Amino acid sequence: MKKTKNKRNIIKKISLSEMLIGIVVVIVLVLTLMFFFTFVNIYKNTTEESVVTSSEQAVLQVKNTVENYTSDMEVLMKMIQKNISQGEKDTDTYLNNLIGIRQDIVAITTYDENGKLLKAWSDQKRLKENILKNLSFNQNISKENSKMLNITKPHVESLFVDYYPWVVTISQQMKNAKNETIQVALDIQFSQIANYIDEVGIGQHGYCYIADNKGNIIYHPQQQLIYSGLKEEQYNYLKDGSHVEKDAIYSVQSLDNCEWKIIGVCYIDEMITNKVNHIMKTLFVIFLVVVLFTVIIIRLFSKLFSNPAKELANAMREFEKDTNHFEFKMIEGTAEITSLTESFEHMVIQIKELVEKVRQEEITLRKTELKALQAQINPHFLYNTLDAIAWLCEEERYKDAVEMVNSLAKLFRISISRGHELITIEKEVQHAKSYLKIQNFRYKNQFTYSFDIDEECLGYLCNKITLQPIIENSIYHGIDRMVDEGKINIGIHQKEDKIIFTIEDNGVGMTMEQCEEILHQDASDRVGIGIKNVNDRIKIYFGEQYGLTIQSELDEGTRVTISMPKITEKDYGEK
Amino acid sequence: MVRNKKKIFILFCICILVLSGCGVKKSENLQKRKVAVIMKSTESAFFKAVSSGANAAGTAYNMDILFEGPRNEEDYVTQNKMIEKAIEEKYDAIIFSAVDYNANAKAIEKAAQAGIKIIVIDSDVNSKKVDCRISTNNYNAGKMAGEAVLKNKEKELHIGIVNFDKNSKNGQERERGFKDFIKKDNRVKNVETINVISTVEQAKEQTKEFLKNHQKMNVLVTFNEWTSLGVGYAVKELGIQDKMQVIAFDNNVVSVGMLETGEVDALIVQNPYAMGYLGVESAYNLLNRISLKDKEVNTETICATRKNMYDEEYQKILFAFE
Repeated sequence: MKKTKNKRNIIKKISLSEMLIGIVVVIVLVLTLMFFFTFVNIYKNTTEESVVTSSEQAVLQVKNTVENYTSDMEVLMKMIQKNISQGEKDTDTYLNNLIGIRQDIVAITTYDENGKLLKAWSDQKRLKENILKNLSFNQNISKENSKMLNITKPHVESLFVDYYPWVVTISQQMKNAKNETIQVALDIQFSQIANYIDEVGIGQHGYCYIADNKGNIIYHPQQQLIYSGLKEEQYNYLKDGSHVEKDAIYSVQSLDNCEWKIIGVCYIDEMITNKVNHIMKTLFVIFLVVVLFTVIIIRLFSKLFSNPAKELANAMREFEKDTNHFEFKMIEGTAEITSLTESFEHMVIQIKELVEKVRQEEITLRKTELKALQAQINPHFLYNTLDAIAWLCEEERYKDAVEMVNSLAKLFRISISRGHELITIEKEVQHAKSYLKIQNFRYKNQFTYSFDIDEECLGYLCNKITLQPIIENSIYHGIDRMVDEGKINIGIHQKEDKIIFTIEDNGVGMTMEQCEEILHQDASDRVGIGIKNVNDRIKIYFGEQYGLTIQSELDEGTRVTISMPKITEKDYGEK
Repeated sequence: MVRNKKKIFILFCICILVLSGCGVKKSENLQKRKVAVIMKSTESAFFKAVSSGANAAGTAYNMDILFEGPRNEEDYVTQNKMIEKAIEEKYDAIIFSAVDYNANAKAIEKAAQAGIKIIVIDSDVNSKKVDCRISTNNYNAGKMAGEAVLKNKEKELHIGIVNFDKNSKNGQERERGFKDFIKKDNRVKNVETINVISTVEQAKEQTKEFLKNHQKMNVLVTFNEWTSLGVGYAVKELGIQDKMQVIAFDNNVVSVGMLETGEVDALIVQNPYAMGYLGVESAYNLLNRISLKDKEVNTETICATRKNMYDEEYQKILFAFE
């Protein structure tokens, strides 16, 4: 549960452009990898095939050359045999000349069946007096007259003084002129083939070498390296064909006329792996460049979308914070954004209208409510007043009774003046005076009252029944409980563009809590429409900056101040 | 937050650029490296084999090989000049065989300081800045000579050692190994040593003189190619090949001939081709920051006698393939 929430939060925090970049990078990565692996596979296979083919071709070529060489030697051997078998006198000259011409022939020797050296031709090389070991005599010569040449593995020429070249020996059995079986041995140094084989390259480091069927290396371009023990060839026993071994491809072909085979070696890593690596690097670079470009393009592209979206979001947030003072500005962007913006604009306008409407309705409702309250007259007040009048009549104080009735009539006339919330201050003062007169009479002159009025103020308008609830409060809470004579002073003055009403009494006063309570208490049975009502009305009609404040001190008195704007009848009419 | 994102984005871009830059750079080819192979001499078969080994490796690893050495094997001054020159010409590596264990040290340290990789083969130099040493285990080679001597059936052994330059480390090591080994045998009556200048002529003359002074001597041991030939010729000229046992060092056509004809009875054969090859290979590895398996490499040594010299394995080491 929590996890999904976290996930959602994460998703919420990722911006559109980041998401796009992520998706594109992943797609590019996946595509590149797929492309890459297929490509590398195909490439590897084709390269391997072509490498195998080319190394087979190279080996074939070497095979042909070496075969030519060996068949050449075969022909030579036959010539020598013929010459020896005929036992001609000029054999010595002939063979010595032959060796002189053919640089690769080191010596020609003949042996009897036991391996005793009969004769040696070597073009002026000095034969050793005691031959320690003769490596040119082939003991294991095959007796059958097969078509294959008898060639030994490489050995050092051991017959001559201070002359130790590496040779192979081609030997052949034959009958001499005296019909004895002898062996003819031809020692050859294969500098010719060597030079040729050294030149053959398969790839950068690939090469060819000759081995015999027993696994002996006949010639290798790095012969000395092998002899020094620094290098080994492990695959001398491979059969004809191509073999892909661990690190190299071996192509093997056997010669037709002797027991040799040509082995071509080509390294997989230089032929294939290196190339693949190179391509991998190139692809990697391409991939990075593609990613870079896509990222940049997406950044630019998403800015087209996400920037206006962000702006829009900001606008919405601002609108949320302060609906009244929000001013909408069009946001430029793509078609989607524009339509979104337009919808938002419509919404803003509608909401504003609605809010205004609601506010107006609320005010109207409030006004209606308050008006309904104004119309109510404290019933106790009425009973008491009527009681007092009845009592005056009984006492036959008709004059006083008339005054009282007049005052009450005035009070009601102003109170009920229907449809007009605002009346002139003059009328309001009359209303207050009527009320005070009635109350003064009822309280048997327990208090005195005085008015201090700036005449200029009388013409301005004020809410009706503004003073009466406050005076009522002063009498009930201040003077009623006093022993001494009470005093109420009502002042109306102008101050700049305001009218200030003050109602002071010298009653028992109120605590701060009481003041607060009065300001927030709705009308009760005992009191009339209440001070709160007065305050509310002033604020509804004129605004929050106007209204009522109470200052009070216990045993000193209370002072209520009311502020109102200066409003003439004209202003009101316009409104 | 927004700034951070921007930073990350810019970093990302830079990373990609750098990475792609690396990719391009890696595919470029490296310059051909230059390796100077400075030996004690260029004439002996031993150093010729070193040369061909070095050249083979140079071809295999695509490096330029300069092979040089002074005319005579005591000339450390010329060797030092060659090192100086290699420094000036900004060689990447020097493969060195020291004439003088101490006198060559300064020049080698200077080269090492110039950032040149130093590989010592065959004969050591007194420096800690050497990156790799490839040589015969000279002490063991000396022991091998000792083993050959102790196969002598004579009841009393009077041994003469004809060694070369006293300042050359490898000769001294061989002598030490030899002496340590023969000490055990009580047939050994006395061991005399002379140090000769490392040329055939000098060695021959001084050996003759040496033998004249020590009539009882029946074993001669010598520790490099030139002194071997000198001793061989001396024995031949005096006609005493049958009664004198000669243990010689290193192979060339003549000394192998002497082994066959009896002037020399045993040849301690090193593997100079491998030294040259491995030296250049190590240089390549050092220059390409491939870690070496060993900082000290010992190449193989064999003891060839008349009996085994034409065995297949011995043939391969005794006779160079050209």
